[in-house]
Order: sequence, then structure tokens, then C-alpha cells
Amino acid sequence: MAEQSQTERSGSGALQCVVVTPETTLLDETASFVAVPLFDGELGIAPGHTPMLGRLGYGQLRIRQDAGEQAFYVDGGFVEVVNNSISVLTNRAVPASDLDVEVAEEQLAAARARTANSPELLDIRAKLELQARAQLRIAKKHEA
Amino acid sequence: MANPRALDRRRKAVRNIRKITRTMELIATARFKKAMDRASAATAYTRRITELVAKLANAGLEVSHPLLEQREEIKSAQVLVLAGNRGFCGGFNGNVNRLALNRIGELREEIPAVRVDVSGKRAITGLTSREVELAETYTHFEDKPTFAEVELIATRYLEAYQTGELDRLDVVYTRFDSIARQTPMVETLLPLGSLDAAGEGEADADHNLDYEFLPSAESILEEVVPTSFKVRLFKCFLDSAVSEQVARMIAMKGATENADGLIKSLSMAYNRARQSRITSEILEVIGGVEALKQ
Repeated sequence: MAEQSQTERSGSGALQCVVVTPETTLLDETASFVAVPLFDGELGIAPGHTPMLGRLGYGQLRIRQDAGEQAFYVDGGFVEVVNNSISVLTNRAVPASDLDVEVAEEQLAAARARTANSPELLDIRAKLELQARAQLRIAKKHEA
Repeated sequence: MANPRALDRRRKAVRNIRKITRTMELIATARFKKAMDRASAATAYTRRITELVAKLANAGLEVSHPLLEQREEIKSAQVLVLAGNRGFCGGFNGNVNRLALNRIGELREEIPAVRVDVSGKRAITGLTSREVELAETYTHFEDKPTFAEVELIATRYLEAYQTGELDRLDVVYTRFDSIARQTPMVETLLPLGSLDAAGEGEADADHNLDYEFLPSAESILEEVVPTSFKVRLFKCFLDSAVSEQVARMIAMKGATENADGLIKSLSMAYNRARQSRITSEILEVIGGVEALKQ
């Protein structure tokens, strides 16, 4: 199935990568390789990937193209891979270089300061912390 | 006999008003176009989310989630009213206010605790004057609500719902059907009821593919439901913004046309008064000449 769709859809074996946020379609470009941050870690997608629906976590979306590599921070969401086209649906996607370490640090501090005295509140806090940590990590990496 | 000078002054005043209403119409048109573009850009996301739900449903997954289920006992409800910050837009704000008041009244009869959140100055003044207590007010949503801002509110409601502080959320807003039609309406967003159009477009070939779900279809569903709530709330804000601009455009168009009619009839009255004054002056002169001849 995978090989078939690869040869059918595109001879060059390129991926069509679309990033959609509720406000706009941020990106619609071809890529040779895409790494998406799944809920439990990074997943690399090369041309000819099997059809897949995945849940995203907070982390870095990398898109490798002939011209170089683009990196985005994505805030959860979903990824769909079908016929060499990747759709990333996310609440927020920010170019990694636009992230600010200080803002992320503040967010982490705010998340940690929340009281969590019930399982639900604990879940919410854990989620916020993860989100802030992911931003911080990416922001630090791209600071220079 | 009307005073031609007074008529002319009135005509000038109407002309000035016409200039203002015409400009406001143009501004509203431009803003409407922008707001419309944003709203249509947002549909790409909504469409994909709907497709996603359809695919999940096709994979034989029972669509169920705490956010979708009606709670047995509703102890506290929340009403969110979305109106404009500014007037000059016909019945836009009034309709929303009236609908909100009715709904708040109905809810108060059944449910002990009803909180009211309001966005838009017009609704804030409109509701406080009717002695409705407002819990939270927002005035920063203009014609371009951003998802980040709406998400903050959405997350707060979700958290309250999850922790059981909130059992029901009603949103009063103006839905944008088309340029010619915007309907003020109340929508219950929590519990979400159903995910729209689950299973729609099943005939699509792509839907028959075997998807691999990571980590599992259930887990994806768990995330889809809150996302779809947020997107729906966002859509309410966008619709409200678009409707406001349309309403203003139409109101100002009406005002401009009205001013045109007024200018026309004032001009007519002015010309008539001027002509009759001239005629009477000529008559006076002729009368004088005739008197001298004798």
C-alpha cells in the first residue's frame, strides 16, 4: 500500500506538508522529511508512510526541505498522514525562532504555582507544565 | 413661508451627516471583508476536524466523551453573551441583549446558580441597566478575535466543567448565515451534544483507508472533543464579529440613503422658498412702479 501510493502520487517521493491552525493555514509546502512531536515522542515521516492518525504533544515540528530545515513549536493537536500528504492540525504553531525563553519560564512558574488538590486539577497542572517545558526547551535550542 | 436660509442650513447639516455615514459604511465594508476572510480561513481547520471525527467514527469507534453527555443534575449554568463594543449597527446589539435576557430569565427559574459573562460594551451596559449581575466582562474583542484570546476563555470553561463547577454553558451570539441574513441565537456548547456531522462524507475514497491510530482511536477522540469545543467557541466569536460589521454596513447604508432623500426634499423646499421670495419681491417692485405711474 505504502509503496503503491508513493509511486502513484509523486514520482519524486516528496511530501506535501500542511499546517493548519484555527486562524489560518500557516504552511502548505513540499518537504522531503517531516518530524512531528507525537504525544510520547518524536515521529519521523518520510515519503511513503502508511496512512496514520496521531495525537500530538507539545513540541517541535521539523520540516526538511531542499532549501533547509524549518522548525515550529506546536501546541498539541493532531497529525494525519495519507498518500504522502501530512496535515498537522494544531491550536498554535509558532516558528521556533520566535519563542522567548523568558515568556516560557514565566509560564512554567505560573503553571507550577497552581494549586492542585484534586485529580482533575492535577491533570490540568501537569498539562500546563509540559506545555511550558516544551516551549522552554525549544526556545533555548533556537536562542542563538 | 419657510425661511430659505434656515432650509439651506439644514441641508448643509444633512450633507455633513451623509458624509459621515457614508464613510462609516465604507469602513464597515472594509472591516467586514477582512473579518470574512478570517472566518473563511478558520473553516479550513473546522473542516479538517470534522473529517477527523468522521474517520474516527468510520473506524468503528463509539463516539462518547464526558463533554458530550448531558449531566443529570444541573446545578450551575453559565451564559456567555457576545455583542459589539460600538453602536450604529441597527438591531445587532439589541437583539443579542433581548435574547440574552430571556435566556437568563429562563435559566434562573430552573437552575440555582447562573453566571453571566459578557463580551462587548453594548451588552455590558444593556444588561447592567436591566440589573443582571455580570461575573466577567470583556471589551478587548474587536473585529479580529484571535484564537489565543478565545482559547483562554474556552480553557477556563473546560476546566470549570471538568471539575464540576459548571454543568452547562450557553452562548448568545449572532450567527452569520449570509450577507443578507444574520440570526441572533443561543447555542449550548457545554455539554457539546454531538460532534457536528460525524460520519458526513463517508463516500469519500480516503475514508476507506485503514488508518493507523497513534496511540489509539480513543485517545485521539479524547483530545478531539475539547478541541472541537474550542473551535466552536472561536467560531461564535468570529461569526459575531462578522455579523456586527455587516449590520453596521447595512445600517449605515440605510442612513446614507435616508440622507440622500432628505437632501432631495430639502433642496426642493429650499428652491421653492427661494423662488417664491424672488417672485414676491418682483411683485413688490412692479406694484411700486405701477403706483408711481398713476
